[in-house]
Amino acid sequence: MSDLEFETRLDRMFAEPPHFADAELFARQVETRLERGWSLRRLFIGAAGIAAGVLGVSQIMGAGLFLRAAGDRAGQQVQALEGAWTSLTNAASTGVNLGALPVNGEVLWMTAALGVMALAFAITRVTQEL
Amino acid sequence: MTQSGSVAGLHDVELAALSAAGDRRAFGELVRRHGSAVRGLLRRMGAQAALADDLAQDAFLTAFERIADFRGEGTFAAWVKRIAARLYVRRWRKDSRMTEEVETNDQGHGGEASTVSRIDLDEAMKSLSEQERLCVSLCYGAGLSHAEAAETLNAPLGTVKSHVKRGLDKLRLRLAPAEGPRGEAERQGHV
Repeated sequence: MSDLEFETRLDRMFAEPPHFADAELFARQVETRLERGWSLRRLFIGAAGIAAGVLGVSQIMGAGLFLRAAGDRAGQQVQALEGAWTSLTNAASTGVNLGALPVNGEVLWMTAALGVMALAFAITRVTQEL
Repeated sequence: MTQSGSVAGLHDVELAALSAAGDRRAFGELVRRHGSAVRGLLRRMGAQAALADDLAQDAFLTAFERIADFRGEGTFAAWVKRIAARLYVRRWRKDSRMTEEVETNDQGHGGEASTVSRIDLDEAMKSLSEQERLCVSLCYGAGLSHAEAAETLNAPLGTVKSHVKRGLDKLRLRLAPAEGPRGEAERQGHV
């Protein structure tokens, strides 16, 4: 038998799958693990979404954003935003000094909510990689 | 979601496309079709039954995550076999290192070929050293080129080639039908 013939025969032998009596059980185990992975992922995403939503809504409600937006203080808000922008540009040019920024609790909570969402996304990716 | 009965008649590429859209039943059908081939390859590579099954499951889960990468250029079986083979090599490399010192293993198995004239591939693979078995399995079972196998094993190309060569020589000896070792002995006896 030539080398080529033997290698062709070997390819054929490798291509023939062996018979396993528990082939169906194996397939079900894989399906179960797939379902479990998807359930966990949905759970993570759902929990993170709820947490971020609750944080965001509570902060918006607590800040009375809608009322203030309609009132006389709208101008003050604009001024505050302008002040924040000025501080940010100054910070960018002179070095970041967080204490000097006009950041209040709402901004921090919103940042935390975004952080939770980012963490949920990271966990989802890690779960996928695992 | 596709009904379980309707996926059985679909081609692998169609099932892969459905799987890429999140259809886990379609992927389950792919596992049913190719699970045994992947498990068999891992056992031929040298994995114990339990480890082979665990790694085969991991390979299919990995394949599901990366199913969008499968573009139907080769067969799905070959693609998932490559994933499984690489997973096994990664596991194997944790425990041992590819070395040139295979001669001791070679000597331990070499004499068996003369006592058996015809055995199947699974048995024949057991006569190979660990490194030879890996290299032959990667190249002929998982369809990797010598260069790809060398990269997967993180071993020099020449080393992989020599392992494949020696492995093939042993397999040829053990798998040869009538003209195997017994046949050669018979021929020598006639002469």
